[in-house]
Amino acid sequence: MDIALQENISTLERLREEALQCGGEKRIEVQHLKGKLTARERIELLLDEGSFEEFDMLKTGRGSAIGDESTYPGDGVVAGHGTVEGREVCVFSQDFTVIGGSLGEAHSQKICKVMDMAERVGCPIIGLNDSGGARIQEGVDALAAYGEIFYRNVKASGMVPQISCIMGPCAGGAVYSPSMTDFVFMVQNSSYMFVTGPNVVRTVIHQDITSEDLGGAGVHGSKSGVAHFTLPNDILCLREVRRLMNYLPSNNRQKAPLVDFSDPPERTDPALDYLVPPNPGQTYDMNVLIYSILDGAEFMEVHADYARNIICGFGRLGGQTVGLVANQPAVLAGVLDSDASTKAARFVRFCDAFNIPLVSLVDVPGFMPGPEQEHGGIIRHGAKLLYAFIEATVPRISLIVRKSYGGAYLVMNSKHIHCDINYAWPSAEIAVMGPKGASEVIYRREIQAADDPEAVLSERMEDYRRRFANPFLAARRGYLDDVIFPRDTRYQLIRALQFLEGKKVEKPDRKHGNIPL
Amino acid sequence: MFEKILIANRGEIAVRIIRTCRDLGVATVGVYSEPDTRSLHVLEADEAVFLGGSTAAESYLDMEKIIRIAGEKGCQAIHPGYGFLSENPVFAEKVENAGLVFIGPPSSAIRLLGDKVSSRNIAKEAGVPIIPGGTEPLADFSAAGRAAEETGYPLLLKPAAGGGGKGMRIVNGPDELESAWSASRAEAKKAFGDDRIFIERYITRPRHIEIQVMADQYGNAVYLGERECSIQRRYQKIVEEAPSPGVDEDLRAKMGDVACRLALQAGYWNAGTVEFVMEASGEFFFLEMNTRLQVEHPVTEMVTGMDLVELQLRVACAEPLPVSQQDIKINGWAIEARVCAEDPEKGFFPATGLVTRYAEPRGKHVRVDSGVHAGSLISVFYDSLLAKLVCYGKTRDKARRRLVNALNGYHIEGVVTNIDFVNRILNLSAFSDARLSTDFIPENFDGAEAKEAPPEEHINRLVMAVSLVYHCRNALVRESLKPMVSEIGSRLADKERFEYMAKSGDEVFRVMLHGNSAERTWTISVNGREYDVTHPPFEFYRRRLKLTINGGVHRFIIRFVGNFISGSYCGLNRVFEIYTPREWELAAHMPSPMKLVSEDVIRCPMPGQVVEVRVKPGERVYRGQEVVILESMKMESGVASPRDGIVDGVKVEEGRAVESGDILVTFAKEEE
Repeated sequence: MDIALQENISTLERLREEALQCGGEKRIEVQHLKGKLTARERIELLLDEGSFEEFDMLKTGRGSAIGDESTYPGDGVVAGHGTVEGREVCVFSQDFTVIGGSLGEAHSQKICKVMDMAERVGCPIIGLNDSGGARIQEGVDALAAYGEIFYRNVKASGMVPQISCIMGPCAGGAVYSPSMTDFVFMVQNSSYMFVTGPNVVRTVIHQDITSEDLGGAGVHGSKSGVAHFTLPNDILCLREVRRLMNYLPSNNRQKAPLVDFSDPPERTDPALDYLVPPNPGQTYDMNVLIYSILDGAEFMEVHADYARNIICGFGRLGGQTVGLVANQPAVLAGVLDSDASTKAARFVRFCDAFNIPLVSLVDVPGFMPGPEQEHGGIIRHGAKLLYAFIEATVPRISLIVRKSYGGAYLVMNSKHIHCDINYAWPSAEIAVMGPKGASEVIYRREIQAADDPEAVLSERMEDYRRRFANPFLAARRGYLDDVIFPRDTRYQLIRALQFLEGKKVEKPDRKHGNIPL
Repeated sequence: MFEKILIANRGEIAVRIIRTCRDLGVATVGVYSEPDTRSLHVLEADEAVFLGGSTAAESYLDMEKIIRIAGEKGCQAIHPGYGFLSENPVFAEKVENAGLVFIGPPSSAIRLLGDKVSSRNIAKEAGVPIIPGGTEPLADFSAAGRAAEETGYPLLLKPAAGGGGKGMRIVNGPDELESAWSASRAEAKKAFGDDRIFIERYITRPRHIEIQVMADQYGNAVYLGERECSIQRRYQKIVEEAPSPGVDEDLRAKMGDVACRLALQAGYWNAGTVEFVMEASGEFFFLEMNTRLQVEHPVTEMVTGMDLVELQLRVACAEPLPVSQQDIKINGWAIEARVCAEDPEKGFFPATGLVTRYAEPRGKHVRVDSGVHAGSLISVFYDSLLAKLVCYGKTRDKARRRLVNALNGYHIEGVVTNIDFVNRILNLSAFSDARLSTDFIPENFDGAEAKEAPPEEHINRLVMAVSLVYHCRNALVRESLKPMVSEIGSRLADKERFEYMAKSGDEVFRVMLHGNSAERTWTISVNGREYDVTHPPFEFYRRRLKLTINGGVHRFIIRFVGNFISGSYCGLNRVFEIYTPREWELAAHMPSPMKLVSEDVIRCPMPGQVVEVRVKPGERVYRGQEVVILESMKMESGVASPRDGIVDGVKVEEGRAVESGDILVTFAKEEE
């Protein structure tokens, strides 16, 4: 007996030792030379020191269906749970040093196990992707393996936050799991994502393109919007994931964490009184307002390089995480286009799913005109944002900073689509359209008939500006709850959040609505 | 005394004049242009009148409008401040003719002293030492050659009109004379419409010393000691002090006497400054007389205890000087740093923006003359001077230390300033040892970086500050999240010892923190050297930090920049990457940051106005070729192409005002 047990103990020691060695020294060296960390090193940095508990360390595949009978330690993925600032998360980390991190049956089962557990215990799931793709040797088993993961991505969606980090290749069907998670991080120059790679592109459409240009972090961070965050290296990427986690609740039954930066709620900022330039044609940077009002001037911007005409991200007000959706007048005048609408819509839905109050800062001249946008379906895409705001049952606060015209005014979380509290600065202009366009329509005949059309137009514009380009008409109607002094914005928003803390909305009994996807 | 005056100026000097007026019970009328609608001087003045316009010419230089407003508002006098109309004899005359008092010298004196040739002549008559060289503008190149022989090399070619260094050329030997001659003339012609040039001896390691004089309308003149203004960048003063470490009692009396003589000879009254260039030997020569209140007048006020604006008003009211020369004593030392919206890293080009944070240092013997507040818009239209910080001490070193501390606590965000740069100057041994000359900046700096390594103690203190902020911020998040952490399993007592690696450029510091956030007392070691540190509760949102390190109080500006943290202290301004030991170990594998791929556009590097576009669409340009010429503040400079390529579009035209980041030129897509 003793001897048998002794043997088992040494077997366990040996197996553990093997598993910890991953793909062996040589492959680890290659991984490092590529500027990448190993699967285990990444987990070590992601989680609190010493908190990682591994599942299925000893799990291997059955051996491939064709040819190769060998099995691999951990089957190319490390999975388990640990803590981020003390809070539990589930994590899997694909190991490129073990058969290229390729995904087969056992590999997938390990991932599915931690995904199931995450959903059951209500903790976030973080996937660190670095995989050559499907393990071709396993045939249809490998495809089935992906399907199981996709299924769980959707099941967990809106239940626990799902985070993906692309830290190496991620190609073919493999892209769809990260794309269904809530946030995608990509590491610059060492990761790429595409449905079909450069070789296929060359064969099918005879175009030469590099992996980086086809699906690198730069492309997905700025052009496609697939990546929400792009970071220069693994260490900064993992730090950024930890930072994001601190804004989020662990699941949809919790409220977002309160983090006290001892930043006084009543702190005023006199500079805000001067933020909006006197000339309506001039722009300003909405970030000044954002960084001024948030606790500790900390803001975690989502999609910072994509559709920059709208700013989305997390910050805290009075310790409470809020989701900010702000037009950026400094980019394309803050106009809403298809990309901006879909970017914001997805962000709004995430916040709503995870009980994060929404604050919108509005300075929007309207929707982007032109055939490119119309033919690209701005009607559909704009409707997504409209739908998402209306659907959201979390506290919704809107602040109209300057322009708020036409349909875009309604879409941007207005009182008419039932935001809870709608404030405006004295610089707000709420109307169907800007003074020029409006005057040209209303006084068309008069202007045409005039001896000096320019003079009449500018006179009418001035008249219109005085009557409509201010917040007072809307305030008289009660569409605005109040017109506030810019310097007091922070305090006003925090008071509104306090008031709305107890907000409860009965959900209608339906399977789900039909958002215009 | 006047009952009401108009202040024909803006910014800090307008605010400064208002302050004295308030003390004397004189009502003030301010004027402002469109970009200044919400400026501090508008708020501070008893009344403010809109001038209209954006450029100086449309606003603060519009004589008729200003005089008319003064009349309408019932003002008895106009104070021109400095710059703008302050040294314009035509304006002074018009004010006088309108029956108002010009608070400054009579127009005749301005005219006499304003021209380099006539002022030289009158100085000569008054027995003021003159730099060897011709007093007459040179007729042609052969005359220049003869004059050069007489004066000797190195020599200086100097336009008869204008200032600010425009058109000036140093010539080291006869072979350089011809090209310098034509360049100097061309530039003078362009800048001043006057290509008269004269030659004078060029003085090596010169110091700029100036004497403050004050004269009344009854032939009395006194001098209020000297100021040393040797530290200059782009021919503009940046750090000034009084008295000068290079001037003793005898020299002061000597310089003061000739300065007063000059003033009387010129029929001068009111405040004026006689500028001298001084050689290491103490020999000094007349440069020019500035017929206005100087920017740097506060250092004189601090060491003499007099209010120069008050004296200006009294003299302008035809009161006799209330003081005589014996009453004027120089007591202690004062140093002034000019705080400007400019980027020392980019050749001191002016910066623009909205001031989003503004906190001034305060304290005994700390004076701030500021024209800005949170919300001020810094535009391209005017001078980049935001404020002057002046500190006083019994000795030069006490004044210097006080100024360094005050600058450490001076917090301006939203617009790039030279605060760290001037602080760097004050922390150089060349400054504390008073090794001063007008070559101070080129001698001691490479660009914005000091050639002298900063004291290790300064770096260590900054490292401690950033590490502590980094640690405490993260500890605070961890602490806040505790209610959401599983209650099962006793929470271990928090660690009390933390290790970090702080990296800044090529330097790496090992930092050990021992202590805890709750008690705010720490023992911190930086590369093995230990310090005791305490601090008040952190208020991260302020981004200003006060630490007590080994008993001494130190102020820092600390800011998170993405994943990094930047800190400023004693002229150091560094970005730190902070790693845990394990992160640091793994950081060895991280690739070095990739260079950004150059864009297919050329962006404007600074705000200004386009004076020339040198390329056309379709033209091929090469890396380094200047494509657009910009004028920004008094400087013209070219924007060079960052790459080779074919110009697709030119997005600006001559005369257009541009902001930094604006696209100037786009490139065509290159065919492979």
